[in-house]
Amino acid sequence: MNMNQNFLKFVHAIVGEENATDDRAICASYSRDQHWHFVPAMNPAYVVRPANKEEVRKVLMLANEGKIPVIPYSTGINVRGLTIPVHEGSILLDLSRMNRIVEINPEMKTATVEPGVTFGMLLEKTRKYQLRPAFPDAPLTVSVLANYYLRGIYQTAAADGHDHTLSYEMVLPNGETIKTGSRSLSGMPYFRYGVGPDFTGVFCAHPGTCGVVTELTAKLYRLYDNRNVYFIGFDDVSTPTKFIYNLMHDELAASIRLVDNQSWLKGICGTFDYRYEELPKFVLCMLVEGVDGIFEAKDKLVGDYIKESGGKVLEFPEEFKRTFEEESLGGAEKSCMVFGLRGNYHCIGLYGPLTLAAKYYELHEKTALEVGIPTDHVHFYLDPIYSFHGQLCYVELDIFYDGSDLRFGEKLRNYNEKQFKRLLDLGIYGWFRPYAGIIEPTVARIGYLAEVWKKFLKVLDPNAIMNRGKLF
Amino acid sequence: MELEREEILSAIYHCVKCKLCSISSFHPNEEWLPLCPSGQFYGYQAFYAPGRLEIFREILEGELSEPTEGLLKAVYACTLCGACYEKCKQITSVGISLPELFEKQREELVKKGWALDAHKNIAEKIKETRNAYGEKHKYKYEAKSVYGAEVLYYIGCTARYRVPEIADAMLEIFDKLGIKYQVMEDEWCCGSVLLRTGRVEDAKALMAHNVEEIKNSGAKTVVFTCPGCLMTFKKNYPDMAVELVHSTQFLTRLGDMKVKKLGMEVAYHDPCHLGRDLGIYEEPRALLKEVADVKELKREREQAWCCGSGGGVKSAYDDFALWSAGERIKEAKEVGAEAIVSACPFCKRNLREAGEKEEMKVFDVVELVNRSLEG
Repeated sequence: MNMNQNFLKFVHAIVGEENATDDRAICASYSRDQHWHFVPAMNPAYVVRPANKEEVRKVLMLANEGKIPVIPYSTGINVRGLTIPVHEGSILLDLSRMNRIVEINPEMKTATVEPGVTFGMLLEKTRKYQLRPAFPDAPLTVSVLANYYLRGIYQTAAADGHDHTLSYEMVLPNGETIKTGSRSLSGMPYFRYGVGPDFTGVFCAHPGTCGVVTELTAKLYRLYDNRNVYFIGFDDVSTPTKFIYNLMHDELAASIRLVDNQSWLKGICGTFDYRYEELPKFVLCMLVEGVDGIFEAKDKLVGDYIKESGGKVLEFPEEFKRTFEEESLGGAEKSCMVFGLRGNYHCIGLYGPLTLAAKYYELHEKTALEVGIPTDHVHFYLDPIYSFHGQLCYVELDIFYDGSDLRFGEKLRNYNEKQFKRLLDLGIYGWFRPYAGIIEPTVARIGYLAEVWKKFLKVLDPNAIMNRGKLF
Repeated sequence: MELEREEILSAIYHCVKCKLCSISSFHPNEEWLPLCPSGQFYGYQAFYAPGRLEIFREILEGELSEPTEGLLKAVYACTLCGACYEKCKQITSVGISLPELFEKQREELVKKGWALDAHKNIAEKIKETRNAYGEKHKYKYEAKSVYGAEVLYYIGCTARYRVPEIADAMLEIFDKLGIKYQVMEDEWCCGSVLLRTGRVEDAKALMAHNVEEIKNSGAKTVVFTCPGCLMTFKKNYPDMAVELVHSTQFLTRLGDMKVKKLGMEVAYHDPCHLGRDLGIYEEPRALLKEVADVKELKREREQAWCCGSGGGVKSAYDDFALWSAGERIKEAKEVGAEAIVSACPFCKRNLREAGEKEEMKVFDVVELVNRSLEG
């Protein structure tokens, strides 16, 4: 019996007829994300919606036997083409039915979730304990598990630092389950290290190429009642760097975001309707929080640093401050208004030192201009990340554009081709996410590590069924 | 036509698939409240707005060339409630509303002959009987219709043939308040169900007839208890130089009607066409507060959860329609309401069916107003 021809029949037996399909139209709904100027639309051949780990395991083994590519997919908000098939005949493994919050442990300050749990779902449950997850600057409709597994570093609250992931379980194509960290030793999935190499980290940041993560335990962070918000205007990127350095060095602010006044600031303030063009070009949005005593002390020191910052304290309406708090410590909702600036967005997200911030921006403007992207489409933001070793910052080089303008898509492709190499030449710590286009010039520079990486994937997935074509 | 296609594609290209359209605004209460009945019920991406747009793109680009079961279900199992668009327009600058796009999508399908039997049957019934339910008898009412009265009550198919208590209540209110009114002798279906299911051509004769009847009636104000009919008259009909108002608007502006409180605790359900399409949120609430204690549902006004009945769903996917209504009933129970009140015969019919099991009473606003009016 030919596996591929009978695949659907076998899968129906595993997940039920209503949860697997090869219907052309249903598959078409998974054919594109916002990155269509770079990754062309392609339909998966099947969409399969397992309900639990055992179903995932059986489907993976079946796919492995038939050497059918599998694309894990969590809650349906995907970017950079990471869940768009490269190969004909692929299975889209839609994990959105697996949406249990397995545990919230307020004593341990952890949450254990399945792939279909979104940041909104999780915060709704954790806030009663005065706890929250670390948020990506992505809509709160995105999957907690997929985002942490993809990176494990977030920065809307600088104080959260990085390494939010503690442990997880992953099903491999051969049906074996791997548990990382303390999860592998005991029923306590609350610690990442100490069981040989840091496999929790090793499996991260290859988008769906190792196996399917079915459960993940992450850190939760405290919500404080004492809060203060500041907006400080600057005319360029370099002036506030000393100020940011001081805030980070003394560990004073929970959230520190340097944004330009025409893009992310609108979302942070929650409205398009304000005189943003009259503000300084860059605005540092900052949130101070803490327990009684410590909060007041931090706030006083922040006030002192503001005076010597060289910036202008901006008096915004109270609701702007409230929105910034919500967006930073409660998940991005209005921040997504940037999608409405021109209809689509392109960004290069990278990690690098604060010392290079102004140069990243300069390079962004330069390359955009060279390929014919107007200056008013060019945007920028920077979030420093505690504990600030290496002056670690997340930097986003954004271009907001009309997605229906196909000629603009060509400009963006030219921009990428130049900019990836230029950024690597200038010096970065790493990319926010690996994806086709960005990975090739990177692999060319990392020497034998690339060979080890490929061999590692070969061991886990000898038939290369996992998200085939998204890395190498 | 080419430009229209480009406009549609442009709108599709504006969706970045953030899926915030699938939940109500989170931060006000930090509660995860789904907004898209179709996506929530069926689960596949195809049943959320971003997925439905992708399907539309593939149809326009000629990549989908067969009316598969999934295609028909993804396109037609949507109530066109517009909750997705209310959320999307806060965020994006998309010019065309999502329900309009989805109506266009259905129009494209109908042109290709890719229609549901359930909708074809309705079209045939309308052709034969001029009402959406194929009823051959006339709605019997105790109306003191006065030919030439300035107020004309357009009853609509559902209040005539499925929930006549709404029409009865409205007529009694007119009588109790001493308002002279007329009812169309030969009222035809407004065409809403045809337009919402992509059968634009079929609706034209109905619209022409109703326009002519209303012009000949001499009425200056047409009152609707059905928001679907009202929206269709406002959106799809030519200007007839008459005022078109919903019953709740009409009654609210009468001022003190000397109603008495009924001693009920009720939840108000915003009908999609009345709220999101016509922006009428306050009048039904104001009216209801006169006669009952009103409790707000968690998902209300622009972000109300749809009852599940509209867009041709009730006739084609009744299981889905009843599930959506059941979700709304649960929400009403959660706030401690003893009854759920709407201002739409379509909502009432579906909520009532779903509420039977849940023992939840369902009313239209005009029914409670009628009860509370001194006879």
